[in-house]
Amino acid sequence: MKKIPKFLTDAAVTLFLLAACFILCLLVQTVSGAHALIPAIFILGTFLTALATDGYFYGILSALASVLIFEFVFELPYFSLNFTITDNLVTSIIMIVISCITCTLTTKIKKQDTLKSQSEMEKMRADLLRAVSHDLRTPLTTIYGASSAMLEDGGGLSAAQKQKMLQSIREDAAWLTRMVENLLSITRLDGTNVKIIKTSTVLDEFLDAALIKFHKRYPEQEVAVELPDAFITIQMDALLIEQVVINILENAVCHAKGMSILSLKVSVLSGKAVFEISDNGCGIEKERLKTLFTGYFQTENLPPDSRRSNAGIGLSVCAAIIRAHGGTITARNLESGGALFCFTLNTEETAHEQ
Amino acid sequence: MSSKYKVLIVEDEKNICHLIGALLEADGYQTVPARDFANGKMLYFSHRPDLIILDLGLPDGDGMDLLREIRKDSLVPVIVLSARADESDKVEALDLGANDYVTKPFSSAELMARVRSALRTAARYSGTALSPDGTFTRDDLLIDYGARRVFIDQSEIKLTHTEFDILSYLSRCSGKVVTYSAIIKEIWGYSDSGSVKKLQVNMANMRKKLGAKPGKKNYIENELGIGYRM
Repeated sequence: MKKIPKFLTDAAVTLFLLAACFILCLLVQTVSGAHALIPAIFILGTFLTALATDGYFYGILSALASVLIFEFVFELPYFSLNFTITDNLVTSIIMIVISCITCTLTTKIKKQDTLKSQSEMEKMRADLLRAVSHDLRTPLTTIYGASSAMLEDGGGLSAAQKQKMLQSIREDAAWLTRMVENLLSITRLDGTNVKIIKTSTVLDEFLDAALIKFHKRYPEQEVAVELPDAFITIQMDALLIEQVVINILENAVCHAKGMSILSLKVSVLSGKAVFEISDNGCGIEKERLKTLFTGYFQTENLPPDSRRSNAGIGLSVCAAIIRAHGGTITARNLESGGALFCFTLNTEETAHEQ
Repeated sequence: MSSKYKVLIVEDEKNICHLIGALLEADGYQTVPARDFANGKMLYFSHRPDLIILDLGLPDGDGMDLLREIRKDSLVPVIVLSARADESDKVEALDLGANDYVTKPFSSAELMARVRSALRTAARYSGTALSPDGTFTRDDLLIDYGARRVFIDQSEIKLTHTEFDILSYLSRCSGKVVTYSAIIKEIWGYSDSGSVKKLQVNMANMRKKLGAKPGKKNYIENELGIGYRM
């Protein structure tokens, strides 16, 4: 569908509507002879053309064609263009004027619609920016404060204090890094022109790379991995999907209190790879479940320390990434306790060759 | 000390340049900082460094061009610094002959490990090159190039002809990221879009035979969308 240039589909629509009007008028003329209906039918056709096509061009083209057809076929003298008869001239001018105004109005309405959705997007972006800038300030305060304290230290700080400051500088810088990664992903997914670059990725190579990154951040946390034996490839933007896996794993580490087992299982079901990440921690509050993937903007209602986990933005980013890949993402609590995050991606048809 | 390795740092960000310089000097390297393309080129030819750390985004030119000019002149190891999303840049730099890349932001441990590994690879290439019937060992893995046999913990792993060729090529380049296209050219002598999949299938089979577990320390690292590193 997308491969056909827009001007061709527009032209086809215009022609089709003109033809439809023409046939309808012929029917009306021969069956009932209700001559007065004919200009109305043509104006309706022009109106529909303007609605269905881009810009003014096709609407006005349709208006002119309608007038010519009308004069030529349906006005006395039949099968000749005679604009010297005052009636015909006036009817034609009125038709053209009405058609042009309709075109203008429909185009304006369409423009307003896109403006409206654009301004909604702007608003969302502004909200996000506000929330994020607020969140960025705290770690920056720590980094700036701790480093200047150490630089300006006249010997009053103990070695342990300095060590602690350095640690908080590193922790907060790491947090900032992750936040920026998520923000970068959002800008790549922003709006209509999605800039994800999908390449054919081998499942076990992907999991290996993602888990190694995760272990770099959380060396203590074991992840039990279960994956199918077959050679599976998936069309994906590996950096982004890697981020989804890491965000979900990280979410479990930060929030699943009392967790002792964290597992990642991938299975393939009728052309879909199903990624399931589960833990046996405290589960997710019912209230949170509803807005888990969209809830970043409600961070004000959360206890202040939950912000530090990066979870709000992280899970929203996960959902956006998976959606952009045409997959689905869900989260629920397990009966046995703990939470299960599940997302799907389409697998590639693979010809096995050696 | 004249035996000190000399490292040229081409990086326009003042703070990053200082940081890398301090890290290297703390580990006993001698450093030469350059803050732009022109300086980097001049200092390369005047100092003849043992290693170059090269940022690709320079104010007065493309780091990739500098890499090209350096490669025309010598095989000195080059580690490229890159931002996260420039996957295609990484592949291009590696194919142009860069030894490795480090993604910003990096930890000091990570950078220093890459520096040591690049210098090791370079030493092996120049002086003590491996003889064709030599062996390669890494932890409990042993590759006998002459007999074309592979052992883990002294028990033999049966690899196919192609798998062995890939493993032996990767081990000879150990420490270096080898791009898909470089491996394909080495093993099959040609490259087309279908051959990456062929390589990946071979790698998947080999991983199983070598007992690789995702997320654990394996003999071969996956550089997604780029290649492999041993």
